[in-house]
Amino acid sequence: MPEAALSPEESHERQGQPLARARGVRKAVVIGGNRIPFARSGGAYTRSSNQDMLTAALDGLIARFGLQEERLGEVAAGAVLKHSRDFNLTREAVLGSALSAETPAYDLQQACATGLETVLGLANKIKLGQIDSAVAGGVDSASDAPIAVSDGLRGVLLDLNRAKTLSARLKVLSRLRPKDIAPDAPDTGEPRTGLSMGEHQALTTAQWKITREAQDELAYNSHRNLAAAYDRGFFDDLLTPYRGLTRDSNLRPDTSLEKLATLKPVFGKTLGAEATMTAGNSTPLTDGASAVLLGSEEWADERGLPKLATVLDGEAAAVDFVHGKDGLLMAPAFAVPRLLARNGLTLADFDFFEIHEAFAGTVLSTLAAWEDEDFGRRRLGLPGAFGSIDRSKLNVNGSSLAAGHPFAATGGRIVASLAKMLHAKGMVDGRPARGLVSICAAGGQGVVAILEAYPAAEGGQA
Amino acid sequence: MSDKYTQFVSRGFGRDLAGRLGLPRPVELRRYMAGSPLVPGPVLVIGRQDEGQGKEPEALAAELLSWGLDVRRNALPKEKLGAIVLLLDEVRRPEDLEVPVLTAARSLRDLAAGGRVVTVSRTAESSADPAEAAARQGIDGIVRSVAKELRDGATANGILLGSDAVPRSPGTLGALRFFLSGRSAFVDGQFLTVSTASGRQPGDPDKPLAGKVAVVTGAARGIGAAIARTLHRDGAAIVAVDVPAAGDHLAEVANEVKGTALQLDITVPDAGDRIIHHALERHGSLDILVHNAGITRDKLLANMDDGRWRSVIAVNIASQLRINDAILGSPDLPVAPRIVSVASTSGIAGNRGQSNYAASKGGVIGMVRASAPLLAAQGGTINAVAPGFIETEMTARIPLLTREVARRLNSLQQGGDPGDVAEAIAFLASDAAGGISGEVLRVCGQNLVGA
Amino acid sequence: MSADTDGSRKTVFLPEAPALSALYLNAAATAARRRISNARPAADLPDARHGLRGVKADVDKLTAFQHLLGETAGDFLPAGFIHALAFPVAMSVLNRDDFPLPLLGMIHLRNRVDQYRAVHFSESLDIVAWVENLRAHRAGTLVDLVAEVRDTDGELRWKGVSSYLAKGFFLPGVDKPGTDTGGVQGSGPETTFSPPDPTALWILGVDTGRNYASVSGDFNPIHLSVLSAKALGLKRSIAHGMYLASRALAEVGPARSEAFTWEISFEAPVFLPARVSLEISTSRDAGGHWSRSDFTGWNPRSGRRHFIGSAAALG
Repeated sequence: MPEAALSPEESHERQGQPLARARGVRKAVVIGGNRIPFARSGGAYTRSSNQDMLTAALDGLIARFGLQEERLGEVAAGAVLKHSRDFNLTREAVLGSALSAETPAYDLQQACATGLETVLGLANKIKLGQIDSAVAGGVDSASDAPIAVSDGLRGVLLDLNRAKTLSARLKVLSRLRPKDIAPDAPDTGEPRTGLSMGEHQALTTAQWKITREAQDELAYNSHRNLAAAYDRGFFDDLLTPYRGLTRDSNLRPDTSLEKLATLKPVFGKTLGAEATMTAGNSTPLTDGASAVLLGSEEWADERGLPKLATVLDGEAAAVDFVHGKDGLLMAPAFAVPRLLARNGLTLADFDFFEIHEAFAGTVLSTLAAWEDEDFGRRRLGLPGAFGSIDRSKLNVNGSSLAAGHPFAATGGRIVASLAKMLHAKGMVDGRPARGLVSICAAGGQGVVAILEAYPAAEGGQA
Repeated sequence: MSDKYTQFVSRGFGRDLAGRLGLPRPVELRRYMAGSPLVPGPVLVIGRQDEGQGKEPEALAAELLSWGLDVRRNALPKEKLGAIVLLLDEVRRPEDLEVPVLTAARSLRDLAAGGRVVTVSRTAESSADPAEAAARQGIDGIVRSVAKELRDGATANGILLGSDAVPRSPGTLGALRFFLSGRSAFVDGQFLTVSTASGRQPGDPDKPLAGKVAVVTGAARGIGAAIARTLHRDGAAIVAVDVPAAGDHLAEVANEVKGTALQLDITVPDAGDRIIHHALERHGSLDILVHNAGITRDKLLANMDDGRWRSVIAVNIASQLRINDAILGSPDLPVAPRIVSVASTSGIAGNRGQSNYAASKGGVIGMVRASAPLLAAQGGTINAVAPGFIETEMTARIPLLTREVARRLNSLQQGGDPGDVAEAIAFLASDAAGGISGEVLRVCGQNLVGA
Repeated sequence: MSADTDGSRKTVFLPEAPALSALYLNAAATAARRRISNARPAADLPDARHGLRGVKADVDKLTAFQHLLGETAGDFLPAGFIHALAFPVAMSVLNRDDFPLPLLGMIHLRNRVDQYRAVHFSESLDIVAWVENLRAHRAGTLVDLVAEVRDTDGELRWKGVSSYLAKGFFLPGVDKPGTDTGGVQGSGPETTFSPPDPTALWILGVDTGRNYASVSGDFNPIHLSVLSAKALGLKRSIAHGMYLASRALAEVGPARSEAFTWEISFEAPVFLPARVSLEISTSRDAGGHWSRSDFTGWNPRSGRRHFIGSAAALG
């Protein structure tokens, strides 16, 4: 491998890509990934905990890359819906896996962007030379979601614990009211607006005038692309079966635009405009876990591990959705222009776009905003529209509408799949193939990232 | 693991009852365990007693002594023997067999349970002299008959020397060690031909595959998982290959043997390249390839459909041919690997309802024979192992009565276990078997069908 | 392989898994009947083996078991879960009319499991159980309850030997005191035990017995509540021995190889609620791979030992 002998600067000069990069910062490469098939909530993983699923994803990754009893630099993962007992979820999963028990781990939570944020955080540590190897990941279970006691009951229980005498305890207990007994189930509602994520997106979808047909078509493409990817064997080295499941259970290879058109709207029914968001063009609640193996070039080379792609850069953004200035899930519309500007790139410089399909409307609203002159000028401070993408490069192997969306696991799913696609693509017009990842998240946030095909000496290899 | 019947007749009342009724009385076979003795007693080495011919038997006895074995050149009265080695490479006429064979005969009753009889002779084909060829071919009949005569898990097997091999060639000694050891527990009445003087004996007989990288297809369960475990036990680094849908089992096996899992459908056109790429990239080498993946889609030929026929041919033989082509044509492999293919006695003797399977497994045997010279040109070997009745998930689908009969229809009167097949494969993949290629070794307990 | 010494035994295959609640009820009735008739039980063990074919793990129960015992809910069965799968079949042997010892109140003294290969939850299993090795103990009569679990290929995947003591129960013809004195407190030679530094502390609530009963199906009244335990002469309910054993095995962690021997000797019972101190020490072979872990559990207040055991790589 002649490339290994070159410094990052030299190898980039050779590709004619003078990217801004601080001297002394090394590359972080995506070596591979693994996930368990995603299961619709209440399905095959109903009783499995986050820790179980994350451990299963880790063990499959360990088997794929021969990491048994290996001490890795760090493992970071997280879950959006988390039991209080899972305060050290990732470390517990590491202890239950075939990795060395001396591998440190931490939990991270940034709503649906959790998985991508673990990739960026660990990639940065690798780039800075703090660690040589890492596993980034995420897991979520909508089936085994934590049920919290009400605030009333919680207060009573805490005081009861502090009460020293019987009479004091009885006094505390006398405060208990029947309504306190009802548990608080988690929902995807925004704490500040009381609106569910779907209702928020319905506002945005209507604002950008996204049609029902366009949303159904995106959903249809997602299923068709994912089914084709399975049939092609694309997921052969990205997935390990769990609990008897070998494919994502939400995938409907036989769905059609006609079938999708028959579904009744579920969000936005009280808005003035026609409701367009159905169960077919929104992601279902899903259980699943994913993991991505990252490393420095040297670490990968020493172990003979593949180097699929480099994690080039990432950006987070947030919007003020509370007062209706922007839609809840529109932060990526701001994050991507900033990220591309910093790297001297435009939308035309990408070969793959992985835009997470929280709802079909989310993807289409984001694209519409980028194509909008007014949005470009007034919100992005550009001379005109930010630009449009080649739709044939969008989510080419399916995305969340078909695969499902176990919140924190989606980032790992996308990064591992994209890295494999980039590696297969190799060089494009003398530069490494390039992919954009965009993930929206609750709280009006978004995290986006650029991955580049690892400059392989012989170009791409599947 | 022995079956219930074997356990029943191995002890107490069951043993007496089986004896009185003349029922088969299988015993629990002597199987290999690291650190246990190679044979269960002294080894009697018998050669031609004529003047001037004593050198080879003496040299072989010295070699066995150097393995730490207790060796006899003459039997001691009433002493239990672990093995009898008959050196018959010098026979010229059928009459020459009498003295050595009858010498061995007198010690046959002293053979310990799990004992071994091993002959070393020359292939009949390598002689143009009718009398010499007759004498040599006669040994074939002797070994097969003795194997049927022996009891208590004792076996008889033969080593045949091609014109380029001698009794002390590495291949001969390797085969001898294999036949003597518990590794060959379920191999009975069989011959291995050593055609060249290539190969070398292992540094550590308990780690004969140390430093090797082995690819095992169909490794998620059954015989494949046993092969992965055995090769790992013998020192090899393992690439465990199976279809993505078996990925959870595969991950378990890979993590157990501390190897890597490669989820791959071996029927895809680039399977060979992906295997080579994975082995080289992850482990830096590809020394051993075990074609084990196989499926059955049984149906009488009269009722056969194209789906059943096609899938069995595609998985069981077409994929192996394509992967071997990739290996032979790969510029990245400086030396061709040791290839071992899993055939089946169905491919030799046929089996009702298995015309497709038998076609594929017969095909494996044809492929192995024709590929041997191609691999030899690149420093590799290719052999097949043909399991007989092995207790696996596939055989578990055979109806109970048929299965019970099938189990008993061999000289050891029981089914083998997946580890027995794995042991034979581990041997053929080892450096010691370097002089053995194009061979089909049956691991069948000397099945009476198609023997 | 099999410890079977008498080949004439036949296996009675049960049509379905016997309900343990019914077995315990029947055991109570048998005990009462024996008290009334004052019949002297025979000193022979039943010849018959009990078998059950095609047993499969229920995934929900498996997951609940794994979670309760602190195992990750993976796709392979914990060795203790297989014990629970085999337990109704094993119990049904003790519940035969010709079994000479009283089932209720028997004390689980020792347990040994050999797991040869991990069992995937989707596999179909055949279970055969029998009793053997009836022998005298200083404190009563000891018997081994053996269960073998095979897959559809007939391969032995798991074997368990549970030694039970019928305390204070002596049979004619097996009265050779002192032949086996292991286990139960106060009956064997009192070995001095000085507690090591603990590596873990278990806090077991009063519901520990009930929780384990619900995942294992072992609803023996001595584990369920103070009242039901008192009815059988215990001061409070006690933790299941296999709960303690399975938790200790879970603490050994994923480093254990998939073929292993897992042994435990129970000494002082764990009365609920309880705190149990645990010490685990692990040894590795020259290559750094796990070879065995030894564990001891004791009462942190009294220093009395509850159990001692190990998990060790097989082969």
